[in-house]
Amino acid sequence: MATEVTLAARPDSATLHLLEERLREYLEDRVGVRTRAADLRGARAFLVSGARPDDPKGLVVDRASSHAERVYLYLHVAAHVALRHDVPVMTIVEPRPGTPDPDAELHERAESVVRQVWWGRAGERELRALLPRPLARPLRLALRLPLTRGLLRLALLGLRRAYYGVGPRAVLDRIGLTRAFREALWVTSVVCAAPQLAREARRT
Amino acid sequence: MRIRDPERVSAAIRSLGRGRSLDALVDRLYDLTEGAVSLDRATLHRIARGRTRVARAIDTPEDCVRLYFALMILGCDQDLDIATVVEEGRAVLAGFIGEPLATLIFADLERTLPKLGDVRTLREYLEEGLRVWLPK
Repeated sequence: MATEVTLAARPDSATLHLLEERLREYLEDRVGVRTRAADLRGARAFLVSGARPDDPKGLVVDRASSHAERVYLYLHVAAHVALRHDVPVMTIVEPRPGTPDPDAELHERAESVVRQVWWGRAGERELRALLPRPLARPLRLALRLPLTRGLLRLALLGLRRAYYGVGPRAVLDRIGLTRAFREALWVTSVVCAAPQLAREARRT
Repeated sequence: MRIRDPERVSAAIRSLGRGRSLDALVDRLYDLTEGAVSLDRATLHRIARGRTRVARAIDTPEDCVRLYFALMILGCDQDLDIATVVEEGRAVLAGFIGEPLATLIFADLERTLPKLGDVRTLREYLEEGLRVWLPK
């Protein structure tokens, strides 16, 4: 799993919560991974596999993780399963920073798949339908650097606040821009939580 | 299931139970495994005293693995240190299913343990391990 997930992308929106729920359902229904949260002081998450390849697997994520982090972790786990890293009786652990990780290469391969899926270049249709549409190039460029990423997120959170402060939101909802900004905030929040996702933007 | 090393398994169960009564152990094992490991009291008493080589209700390697996870969770509940939980857990597993198969199961714990960090996270790992090994 990710080595760069941070706890910095709070507070999360209800929309991100919904995205997390949908991805959790996707993991359970399509990937065979049941998810639960627990207080994990020693690790961020781990995926436990049973005796046979088709047995349901169990993913435990740290209760302290944000919705944005979990969105990334669920995609990361789906990538591990797609790459068949989930061999029977083998646990995949997302360690805390600073913990030696002999599986770093495994995680890097999964991350590469997540980046492709996140930016709309790969992944099955059902999964891609759950995710925000690929963003316009200027926004992707802004997500490359920590500073611009942070500023963009602040700006989008400000816009969201203004949106909820406005009375007739139904009028704004009819404008396509509202949805675009909402999706931009989803994407920015997740990339802030898992900055390695921005690497894909660098290459485009 | 035939126990290969009754004395060692007996010592491991007593160590993981840390003075808890055998009746309480039976009840806790039943709860943890959702009834999938339904050791009767008489059998557990005989196993814990090293008096039998045959464990009724532990019929398959899967049952052994479930018992292994459940007993290690018990060890965590009793505030044993990680090293003891791991050592005694391995003794239980190897005592039931023999070293070759136990090594396969145990290799995952050995690989995973350094990344888990603390006993609380180890307990969550054991709980999840037990869950995925429960009958579907």
